[in-house]
Amino acid sequence: MRMTTYVARRAILLIPTIVGVMTITFVLISSLPTTFQLTASFGPPPIHYQCGYQKTCPCSELGEGLGGSCPNPLYNRDVDKLGLDQPIPVQYAGYLVRAFTFQWGTVDNYSEVGDTYQFAKGQPVSTLLEEILPYTLELAMISLAIILAIAIPLGNLSAVYRNRPIDQASRVVSFSGFAIPPFLLGTLTVFGVFYMILPHTGFLVRTPWCGQGEPLIDEITGSWPQKDCFTGAVSLATGCPSWLSACQVSKPTGFPTIDAVYHGYYWMAADSLIRMILPAVVIAYGSVATLLRFVRNSMLEVMNLDYVRTARAKGVPESRVISRHAGRNSLNVTITVLGLTFAFFLGGFQVIEDVFQLQGIGRALALAVYPGFYDFGVIFGTTLLFTYIVVTANIIVDVLYAYLDPRVRLG
Amino acid sequence: MSSQVDPTTAPGEPTRKGRRPSPRIAQLKRTWYFLRRNTLAMIGLSVLVLIALIAVYAALTPLSWLQMTNYCSTNYGPGNSASGWYNSPNQSYGDFNDQAEQGCSQYVCTYEVVPPPNADKFCGNLWYKIPYQAQTKVSYPSAIAPTINVGTLNPGPLPLGALATSVDESTSFFNLYEGLLRGSDWSLIISVSIVGIGALMGMLVGAVAGFWGGAVDDALMRAVDIFLSIPVLLFVLVLVSVLSTDVHQVVLFGYKLISATWTPLFIMIVGFALTWWPFYARLVRGQVLVVREQKFVEAARASGAGKGRILLRHIIPNSVYPVFIQFSLDVGTIPLLIGGLVFLGFAPALLPNPYFPEWGTISALSVFDIQTIETSFGVGFGVFPWWQLFFPGLALFMYAVSVNLLSDGLRDALDPRLRR
Repeated sequence: MRMTTYVARRAILLIPTIVGVMTITFVLISSLPTTFQLTASFGPPPIHYQCGYQKTCPCSELGEGLGGSCPNPLYNRDVDKLGLDQPIPVQYAGYLVRAFTFQWGTVDNYSEVGDTYQFAKGQPVSTLLEEILPYTLELAMISLAIILAIAIPLGNLSAVYRNRPIDQASRVVSFSGFAIPPFLLGTLTVFGVFYMILPHTGFLVRTPWCGQGEPLIDEITGSWPQKDCFTGAVSLATGCPSWLSACQVSKPTGFPTIDAVYHGYYWMAADSLIRMILPAVVIAYGSVATLLRFVRNSMLEVMNLDYVRTARAKGVPESRVISRHAGRNSLNVTITVLGLTFAFFLGGFQVIEDVFQLQGIGRALALAVYPGFYDFGVIFGTTLLFTYIVVTANIIVDVLYAYLDPRVRLG
Repeated sequence: MSSQVDPTTAPGEPTRKGRRPSPRIAQLKRTWYFLRRNTLAMIGLSVLVLIALIAVYAALTPLSWLQMTNYCSTNYGPGNSASGWYNSPNQSYGDFNDQAEQGCSQYVCTYEVVPPPNADKFCGNLWYKIPYQAQTKVSYPSAIAPTINVGTLNPGPLPLGALATSVDESTSFFNLYEGLLRGSDWSLIISVSIVGIGALMGMLVGAVAGFWGGAVDDALMRAVDIFLSIPVLLFVLVLVSVLSTDVHQVVLFGYKLISATWTPLFIMIVGFALTWWPFYARLVRGQVLVVREQKFVEAARASGAGKGRILLRHIIPNSVYPVFIQFSLDVGTIPLLIGGLVFLGFAPALLPNPYFPEWGTISALSVFDIQTIETSFGVGFGVFPWWQLFFPGLALFMYAVSVNLLSDGLRDALDPRLRR
């Protein structure tokens, strides 16, 4: 099968995948009590109103006679607005149609997400995602780059020098990342680096374009544009240039570093990059062991094969045997793991984004699924976005696989 | 252990004298022979056996020296969290009284100086919080681990007996020794069951998909895509709230299989396993795609082997090594993942009680205690209970590394090409 045909076929197969994801999400969400959805959209019911968002209410509570139960006016009024009174198949159809027509709903007014991302409160989910996806993507790219730069050379070395000191050392170092929880390493980094070391160097904490005064936590850990950009208050107080405080800068790509370069603010680009590198190092330290083990083991597998022996017998230099003959053929397991890691990364940054106060997607999702404070619009949007990204990553992995190993047939 | 290896005299190989043992026994003996020669694998194996023994000891030992507190009516939370410690936005955080009665067994909800013999079977062994009565005030934060007055409480054997730390300053201790002990079986059970179920499912699905190809492959891989795309956090949290909001127990044929305390934990394990298998499926499928094109598969087919036999005897054994690696890596990650969820504040929804003894949870709780203080160098972090972090971390590290060493050794012992 030709490459273009294969990719087109996989793109069409995206549709059943999205339907499947949406079905599972729909089943999960519609099994939750209606109360959650009503509260997220209309806020908590009045404090002294005993019935809340329950379907029925004792008539005595409503002042209509003594016994029996009456329909709760609050429930009926609000359920209509959300379309929750319609039959389940109709709701399901509407759900699917919205998924494919990119109507992903709005950020709920009374949710944690709205409180944290003030600019997105009541706005379409796509607005929120456009703003925060580049942060997570940039973080994922930088950490993947770090992981690759460490894992592939070190994995090859440990395979070549199997069970020698360098192998054992790389095993222990990469595994120490396993035992140190990311939340701890992140917290220590924030406290140690930002609070204790950097105030003396003057770098990062006192951004050169902002005025004097006590450094504030938002100013320190946020990325570009900073969190207070959305309110303007802090930046005005510290005397930052007006374009920063009012956020009157265009963001052509959304990636903080690239946009800063685009505007010619190189200091800011470096600053933003360094702010990303610290969390990226924390992430990479925790997950480099996985890729390292895979590279080592697939390399070991390949180095015992006949063609490697033939190459050695021919007199090919050992470095070339390792890099060209064995190295390239050991890459296919690595590629699979890499694709999976990338997919896992996008959903797995909750802790790091929380610790470093980065405004990424993982944090938004963690806030959106907080039990009892669900944000259904954000759940809907992020799940769909994950689907698109995961499936695309899988297609890329499969194509690369066939490219690296001609024996693998596409299809 | 001699340093020379001579495969021809390894057990299981035919010798001039004596009968040849049956092939499977011979295979096992040969594997054990080569595994035994691998020092690192044996270290890993012995550490794992040690941890398993500790876990068994912890499961069999009642909390004899602990006084049972009425934790069911403390305002930190009830013994169960089937509906979350706060299950609706209307409810204020501090008000748990209505939930305090439900879910906890009657043995533990009462004040008992000496616990009933079967108390640990219910809520008892979930709990390692001990009443604060030994001394008036633990000086915290302090640079060293606070020691408790052993006048009224036996802190356990030294030196771990000193590992007590105060959490909510005025009411109670953690006993870290007890927590680590109880944590060994919970960490083992949770991580092995999640990863084990996931790996088995994924291995089967991946092998079938890669081997059959065509429509079967497409269908199975779409299922994999679907489960890969659903965010883990969303799936597990919503699954737990959906399944345990109304039904506080899992009942089958009239038998109460899982009581209220365990429901969220059980659902969490199932939920994680359901989101875990796609990783294994994709790994194994990728390997099977390569293996199925090789000569020995062709040879098996030519000699008349059926599809099932080729899959089970030839393809799966030869494409299983990524599963070994991934399994050994994942098993150590699970406690940290759960610790991360605790750190983010999802503990009320997932864990039976706030001080659930699990290594990852214990270390997450220690990070909560970090306080910022003003020092002469600027704003810094206060002394935090490092012992509460170090010892669970050490346990986790030993666990993760030993599983990895053992799986590396097993891989080498099972693969004839790697025996040297």
